[in-house]
Amino acid sequence: MKRRPDRSPHRGAGYWTRVAIALLFGVLGTILLIGGVWLIALGGSWYYALAGLGLLVSAWFLWRGQMAALAVYALVWAFTLAWTIWEVRFDWWAWVPRMVAPTVLLVVVLASLPLLSQRRAARPHHA
Amino acid sequence: MILTRPNAFLYTAVAAVLAAPALHAQEDAAPPAQTPEATILVPAPPGTVEIEPPAEDTATAAPSVPASDGGTAAEPIPTPVSAPQPQREVGVDWPFWGGDANATRYSPLEQITPANVAGLERAFVYHTGDLPSPEAEGKYAPETTPLKVGGDLLMCSAMNVLISIDAATGEENWRFDPGVPDEAIPYSASCRGVSVWTDPEAAEGDLCATRVIEGTLDAKLVAVDVETGAPCEGFGENGTVDLWQDIGERVPGWYAVTAPPAIVRGIVVTGAQVKDGQAEDAPSGVIRGYDARSGELAWAWDLGAPEQNADGPPEGEVYTRGTPNMWTTATGDEELGLVYLPMGNSSVDYYGSNRSEAEGDWSTSLVAIDVTTGEPAWSFQTVHNDVWDYDLGSQVSLIDFPTEDGSVPALLLPSKQGDIYILDRESGENLVPVETIENLPQGEIEPDFISETQPASGYHTLRFDNLTERDMWGFSPIDQLWCRIQFRQANYEGFFTPPSADAFWIQYPGYNGGSDWGSVAVDTDRGIIVANYNNVPNYNRLIPREEADERGLAPIYAQETGGESGENAEGAGDAQAGAPYAINVNAGWRSALTDMPCTQPPYGGIRAIDLATGETLWDEPIGTARRNGPFGIPSGLPFKIGTPNNGGSVVTAGGLIFIGAATDNLIRAIDIETGETLWTDELPAGGQANPITYEVDERQYVLIAPGGHHFMETGVSDAVIAYVLPQ
Repeated sequence: MKRRPDRSPHRGAGYWTRVAIALLFGVLGTILLIGGVWLIALGGSWYYALAGLGLLVSAWFLWRGQMAALAVYALVWAFTLAWTIWEVRFDWWAWVPRMVAPTVLLVVVLASLPLLSQRRAARPHHA
Repeated sequence: MILTRPNAFLYTAVAAVLAAPALHAQEDAAPPAQTPEATILVPAPPGTVEIEPPAEDTATAAPSVPASDGGTAAEPIPTPVSAPQPQREVGVDWPFWGGDANATRYSPLEQITPANVAGLERAFVYHTGDLPSPEAEGKYAPETTPLKVGGDLLMCSAMNVLISIDAATGEENWRFDPGVPDEAIPYSASCRGVSVWTDPEAAEGDLCATRVIEGTLDAKLVAVDVETGAPCEGFGENGTVDLWQDIGERVPGWYAVTAPPAIVRGIVVTGAQVKDGQAEDAPSGVIRGYDARSGELAWAWDLGAPEQNADGPPEGEVYTRGTPNMWTTATGDEELGLVYLPMGNSSVDYYGSNRSEAEGDWSTSLVAIDVTTGEPAWSFQTVHNDVWDYDLGSQVSLIDFPTEDGSVPALLLPSKQGDIYILDRESGENLVPVETIENLPQGEIEPDFISETQPASGYHTLRFDNLTERDMWGFSPIDQLWCRIQFRQANYEGFFTPPSADAFWIQYPGYNGGSDWGSVAVDTDRGIIVANYNNVPNYNRLIPREEADERGLAPIYAQETGGESGENAEGAGDAQAGAPYAINVNAGWRSALTDMPCTQPPYGGIRAIDLATGETLWDEPIGTARRNGPFGIPSGLPFKIGTPNNGGSVVTAGGLIFIGAATDNLIRAIDIETGETLWTDELPAGGQANPITYEVDERQYVLIAPGGHHFMETGVSDAVIAYVLPQ
């Protein structure tokens, strides 16, 4: 399925997967940031805006193909975990909206590690 | 119609004799002096009134009468018909909708126990054949609970077909279809149950000596013979009494009966469901008592014109329009001659400034009516100036309540707010502390009408703490965030936040309760109340009239087809014609993004409460997540989440609670001591009906009619399923 075999060899499935993940993180981050700022304006929790910011930073690094994406997202995830415990203790049903999707994203980032490594190795060609 | 109000003649012995022929309308040739009525004109000594037991089942009939107290027995004042009659006992039978005459839903059967319940098997599955026509699709919620009397199960289907089947085999004995049209369906096609009455004067084997009586969706009282299903010709017109009489213009679906009538001292007492939120000028909430033998109107309690309309309104007039109604099940007190009516709210639920003073006095109150006179004996109001649709939905249970002065005949009143009150049956006085919530917000819509104070039970409440932003839920941070934004945008000042139009307001608990029509069960031996409850908010907004008109919100009489809102939640765009605002209710406050609730589980639970102290013994979520999930996709998760639930429980001497109710479409057996679920079975649709238990040939059966419920999205079924232990 190499639609454009004449272009850079690094723009194969791995490249597009990474870009897709970066876009996903970007979209989710944007929604959380905008909604989160709205919620803060209404006097609500700061978590969502902060998590949205973190996702956007992570998306940026993903887009750039940098390992920092993992570090940033790991921080977001850890922050989410700490916030969840602070807010609802160990009421597991209350963990569902707070921890399930962020953890799925963590798995996605971890799964994209090889792509990030590839990108790093490929950087000189791109420069 | 000379004797439209027979009991008016019954205050004296002379009058009673004169009235005898009318009371015996079934065989109106009977000469007065020779009628068997004479045998009950003189009260027998307490506890020994000899009356022929129900014809078809001598084994299970109550051997003795609830004793009339010594005082009345000493005075030889004849109290014809209105003398207490023996009541069938629960055990082998399940003779009342609430189990026994006291509506405790407690059975002395003990064959099925926590040790053997896991072995329960289906004994039979009977199909009523009553499934929705294309026109009635999405409007079915049968909620049917059969009775078991003698060898038979007696029930009604969603569209009021009366059916008798064999209690051991499920084979049909007879059926009688009163021909209720689809257009009569109000919010739902429901028939919660039937009542049985045995004529103390009829001879064994007489047609209709024991009769099955139901109220129908098209507002009729129907009486048929228990043995054959033949209409009781002496009852009304060929077995039917038209409840639309004196109500006003007949608009199908506006005025419907969904609950079994209470029969007290030979008087059939019924209210009706007046479809909520249509118009201030709505059918009356009048409560009427009819002679169980003749179907003649005995009395009417029209709270708007109690004296003028006591025998029915004058020619050309109707019962007072728009008054609070009783759509749920009343409880009869044969001994005191009272009937306890859990009254709802006025027809326009969410705006009150136009209500009459009488509406304010009686709405959302428990009212005790003396069935011998039709006049109120006492009342207890659970919400002042109700603008939240906190109708009393639960049937009250009659109990003996332990107090410092010994055991007092009392009743247990659960409410949609979750509060449980215990009242003295005779006086209506509270036997447990009632607290007053003060300084409640008045809001901007009608600050002069909204009450600054409300009562709350100091004994027990099923209600949870007020919501906070962190109680918002979802399946991801994004929909949870959206719910948190909605939470912050809404007007919410806790319990009893008044309605608003500028923004949505949060009503918590919502109109689903607390405790609803399934009511509670009371293990009278162990002294344990078993209450299942909802924990669900509503997200509401008053819609200014102009906006409502733009949206085309019209009351039922102005709609092209009656009851078209059957697929919607109750209140999801109701006109409230006559009031300055229509109402929009998001029942269960479900997210527009995912269809999931905005608040976190549990949405429902089941709790065991110490009857003597009101303390919680255990509290468990009820219902698993298996049929719930985002976008309506069943998650398949077998974990207990606590779902919304409708339908009550049965408790047994064997130490078990049987209950369906939840949206996971399971029936379950729960250990009453621990709250642990010991057995479940998957039903073909939701078990939104009260189960029963009974015995045939020394085998204990558990039975449920899992009809499903359109609004609870639990499917639809015509099955009636009985369980038994293998032999």
